[in-house]
Amino acid sequence: MTGRHPLHCILPPYMLKSICSNSSGARQRAALASIVGTARMRSRRQALVIPGAKVEAATLAAVKLRRVYTAENGPALPGRLVRQEGDPPSADPAVNEAYDGAGSTYDLFWQAYERDSLDGSGMALESTVHYERAYDNAFWDGKQMVYGDGDGELFNRFTAALDVIGHELTHGVTQYTSNLNYSSQSGALSESYSDVFGSLVKQKQRGQAASEADWLVGQGLFTTKVNGVALRSMKEPGTAYDDPILGKDPQPAHMRDYVVTLEDNGGVHVNSGIPNHAFFLIAVAMGGYAWEKAGKIWYAAGRDRFPSNTDFQGAADLTFQVAGELYGGGSDEQQAVQYGWESVGITIGAQSQAQPNPSGCSVVPLTALRALIRRPVAG
Amino acid sequence: MKIDFDRSGGVAGMRLALMLDTESLPVDEAFHIAKLVEGAGFFELVQGFSGAAPAPDRFEYRLTIESQIWGRNAVVLAESAVPVEMRPLLDHLTALAMRGARLDNADGPGERTAP
Repeated sequence: MTGRHPLHCILPPYMLKSICSNSSGARQRAALASIVGTARMRSRRQALVIPGAKVEAATLAAVKLRRVYTAENGPALPGRLVRQEGDPPSADPAVNEAYDGAGSTYDLFWQAYERDSLDGSGMALESTVHYERAYDNAFWDGKQMVYGDGDGELFNRFTAALDVIGHELTHGVTQYTSNLNYSSQSGALSESYSDVFGSLVKQKQRGQAASEADWLVGQGLFTTKVNGVALRSMKEPGTAYDDPILGKDPQPAHMRDYVVTLEDNGGVHVNSGIPNHAFFLIAVAMGGYAWEKAGKIWYAAGRDRFPSNTDFQGAADLTFQVAGELYGGGSDEQQAVQYGWESVGITIGAQSQAQPNPSGCSVVPLTALRALIRRPVAG
Repeated sequence: MKIDFDRSGGVAGMRLALMLDTESLPVDEAFHIAKLVEGAGFFELVQGFSGAAPAPDRFEYRLTIESQIWGRNAVVLAESAVPVEMRPLLDHLTALAMRGARLDNADGPGERTAP
């Protein structure tokens, strides 16, 4: 926190707070950052740690740093800065949605998992809206978020759905953690990981328990001309839309319907329905807020255990393992994880294509954990 | 000239496809597409996959064109690696694919393939 502004080292906390209350713009931001920096030094917070895992780099109090740009319907990134941290709302709803959505995503990862931004070290969340003309997409480009306005015929602006904002920013988290290969099963797992945390951003913002949530991804992106409710349904993959122009939602919910294709990097947006549905089942089986237990298991597994080539079997085995480490072997939570994966056709401990964990973390043999599970008595 | 166009990926994960023979199009439209193909330098692209590593939620384009004059070429292009001169052709084919889907909607099954 050194060298960013002279306010940091000189003024006492009460004066910084006064500046925050009575000023605006750069001065207010500098004072706010200084207060938080001081708080960071004062109080270390306990990070989410699973036994044997590496400790999160940033375990201190954190501060959001958001910047929103406009590409003014051109291709250049990031474009012209239109709103940054602490600025009042813009007259442009896309700017505000990008700003607020980045904030809600930051809040989920910080408040639920004590992760300070996408890289775990407080990186700024940068977003560009109005990218290109009638652009029907949103993406994470490795450094920042990019949102199109939609064509207006099929799609509205892509900032309209909070879970899509969370989805894209989660690609950033994945980049800085498991860095899953973006093709075939590991790519579909990356897509699912983004859908999961995108949905959790929305659920937390709405204060919804797993049983109350709609588990839709991208609701509000379709115009009224489209026959569909959202891009995807984690609750019922394959039912989100059925439209003469867009076709039918192609997502499977079970391994028996896995789609083998060369398109879309091996169907990463299609087969993500399988781990999406597993997560939904696990979260509802556990009950309560999905981000608290199921989300924590997914987050810790993705952060510490998933190698970049994790396939669905590997994800099932590793989330089962992490559930045992966090909540106990044979716990209700671990059984819920097993139930969810087996419901989509993946048996814990079956032959896995995943490679050994490159982080070198010791891995408990799954057979040992499986022995702890209370299995139903065969009738 | 026969064109087989496909766009997949994007956060929506929806497939958009178009197959057309420019001989079946009005002359002005066929001429317009021929100019776009020539301007794109399409037949100078290396056949096969051209582009960067896959990037989350970007589009992926597959394009095969057969021409009596230029021969045949087929490429797969990651959105982030689309050459600037290819952009007008891809945008036009995307628009045609979406329009074709609407015509399908009005007239029954047509050339477009649903996801």
